[in-house]
Amino acid sequence: MKDTRIKELLKELCAADGVSGAEESICELIKEKASRYGKTEIDDFGNVVCTVDGFDERKKTLMLCAHIDEIGLIINYITDDGFLKASACGGIDLRVLPASRVTVLAGDKRIKGVITSVPPHLQAAPEKCAPLDELYIDIGFDGQKAKQLVSLGDRALIENELIGIGRLVSSKALDDRFGAAAVLTCLETLKGKETAYNVKAVFSSKEETGSAGAKTAAFREKADIAIAVDVTFGRSHGESERETGAVGGGPMIGVSPILSRPLSNALINIAEEENIPYGIEVMGSRTGTDADHISVARGGCITAAVSLPIRYMHTPAETADIEDLKNTAALTARFAERGEL
Amino acid sequence: MAVAETLETLCRLDGISGDEVRVAEYIIERIKDKCEYTIDPLGNIIAFKKGKNRAPLKLAMSAHMDEVGLIVTYINPDGSLCFDTAGGIDVRILCGKRVFVGDGRIPGVIGAKALHLLSESERNTCRLTDLTIDIGCNDRESARALVSLGDSVVFDSQFLYFGDDMLCSKAIDDRAGCAIELELIDMPLEYDMQFIFTVQEEVGLRGSGAAAFTAAPDTAIVLEATTASDIPSSSEEKRVCEVGFGPVISYMDRRTIYDKQLYSLALETAKENGIPAQTKTLIAGGNDAGAISVSGKGVRTAAISLPCRYLHTPSCVISRKDLENTLKLTKKFADRIMKI
Repeated sequence: MKDTRIKELLKELCAADGVSGAEESICELIKEKASRYGKTEIDDFGNVVCTVDGFDERKKTLMLCAHIDEIGLIINYITDDGFLKASACGGIDLRVLPASRVTVLAGDKRIKGVITSVPPHLQAAPEKCAPLDELYIDIGFDGQKAKQLVSLGDRALIENELIGIGRLVSSKALDDRFGAAAVLTCLETLKGKETAYNVKAVFSSKEETGSAGAKTAAFREKADIAIAVDVTFGRSHGESERETGAVGGGPMIGVSPILSRPLSNALINIAEEENIPYGIEVMGSRTGTDADHISVARGGCITAAVSLPIRYMHTPAETADIEDLKNTAALTARFAERGEL
Repeated sequence: MAVAETLETLCRLDGISGDEVRVAEYIIERIKDKCEYTIDPLGNIIAFKKGKNRAPLKLAMSAHMDEVGLIVTYINPDGSLCFDTAGGIDVRILCGKRVFVGDGRIPGVIGAKALHLLSESERNTCRLTDLTIDIGCNDRESARALVSLGDSVVFDSQFLYFGDDMLCSKAIDDRAGCAIELELIDMPLEYDMQFIFTVQEEVGLRGSGAAAFTAAPDTAIVLEATTASDIPSSSEEKRVCEVGFGPVISYMDRRTIYDKQLYSLALETAKENGIPAQTKTLIAGGNDAGAISVSGKGVRTAAISLPCRYLHTPSCVISRKDLENTLKLTKKFADRIMKI
């Protein structure tokens, strides 16, 4: 795929709504995109599963998994003055909330609002971030109208569309639409090619609230080998090399006691041989991705984690390099073709 | 043009303190055929419009053109930008916001270390030194090609109509005051009047003193946007004023004790004309009145302010009705002052 087409795809994926547990819009969009590569269904749990054309009983099955839900807010109370109280839906970075514009997804209506910020003269400790229970969403309506328009359980999100900044892109929901776009780009690369495995792409729901989607999809799809394609910490100003990967430095191949070392090594070998830039991300135990759950599905699944470095994770300012997406797609596609495991 | 449309046009313009030229250019374009005007050495616009009658006293309206923003102070070796605040910005609203840098409007995001990489105690703090602007450059050299030290940084902020006739934007403080002045200039005036548009209010009321010296009015009305803290996390006595309850007439703030007679007259004028009005319930904020009232031999000063939530953020919120009522009251009040 050409760079401009990849950027367009990513922009479209990032723009779709899909706060955890309310993934309908992004599910439909992913289904439409993935249907080009094979039979694609949305399961009861909100996962989108594409069985790539050319399924052969004799081959092992490789599952590529990227989650399509995004962090956001969930409305749990409406004051008599019409302000909305929200809880975090996923691990949203609370530092970004005050004075941010939000969209409340209320049925078929998109209601615009602003998150309150307490004026400095009323704050005791000026460097302390306001806790979530001091913040409200101001939708500019009185209590009666607000209660008519908004229902408890409605989701809200900060709707930053994808823009270019310098050589990078910035958008909401790059975690993990960036991974989902990489998987779709991988399927595009594999189109019409012979692969060593049957390929299934799982676009999982509810990762940010505990990987419920990947857990159930891994059980259903019975994969032999799985690669979870998610995001990891891309180095931003002041962050250490030890803890982060270089944005633009290629996919980070995970090494961890809970991942398959032979599979991680196979991916590293392919990256070396094919001249695909990569990094290694060593973790002492859990990876914090769907891989943690896929690896122990059914009787166990050989699992790797391939992560794309992004900056400012869990904020609406997530920032990434499209080159990393292309290299992740290339790495996973070459593995599916060569099948060195 | 309706006052809300004028406000929208003004809010879309970028003009942090000390860099108000785009706002000034627009204002001059709007007033040049209706007023005599001068631009002083600091960039203040001092305009005079003739009314049907000669004024018995020299009355000036004043609003400031600058908005709060950021200024680039350093380019890091990794291509990210350090900055300082220009004006009283609460640093805690900056993380994750989008901005434009410099005259070339280079897009960027304000970033901080990823939440997950911070210790428990670091997670709850946000200091200026924790933040940088990311313009997507990977080294100092490529950043230097796009940005210079001292470049102005403004919020990327859409002007939004939302809720029940509410408006949301950056820079409402004090383009709202400028919009009211421009609307008054468009109307036929009963009496001669001065219109002052000042610079550098947000960095310490620095333009208005000089402008008031030159204009030397007897009486001034300062048009402002002021903090409304009418949000659930504020107790009732700390709300200062409330959005939707009309213009705010101040008796005192942190910079000024207002002329008592003018204060009463403004309240009376509102009452006589059925215009909702309120006063502050907390001595908070400050504006150009602090400099204007003590300029020269002293200027009798009143302030009419627009209640505004989330002041000094990219998402200031006001009610359109309040804006229209502030315009209405200002006009009536000016005519009343002439009859003192």
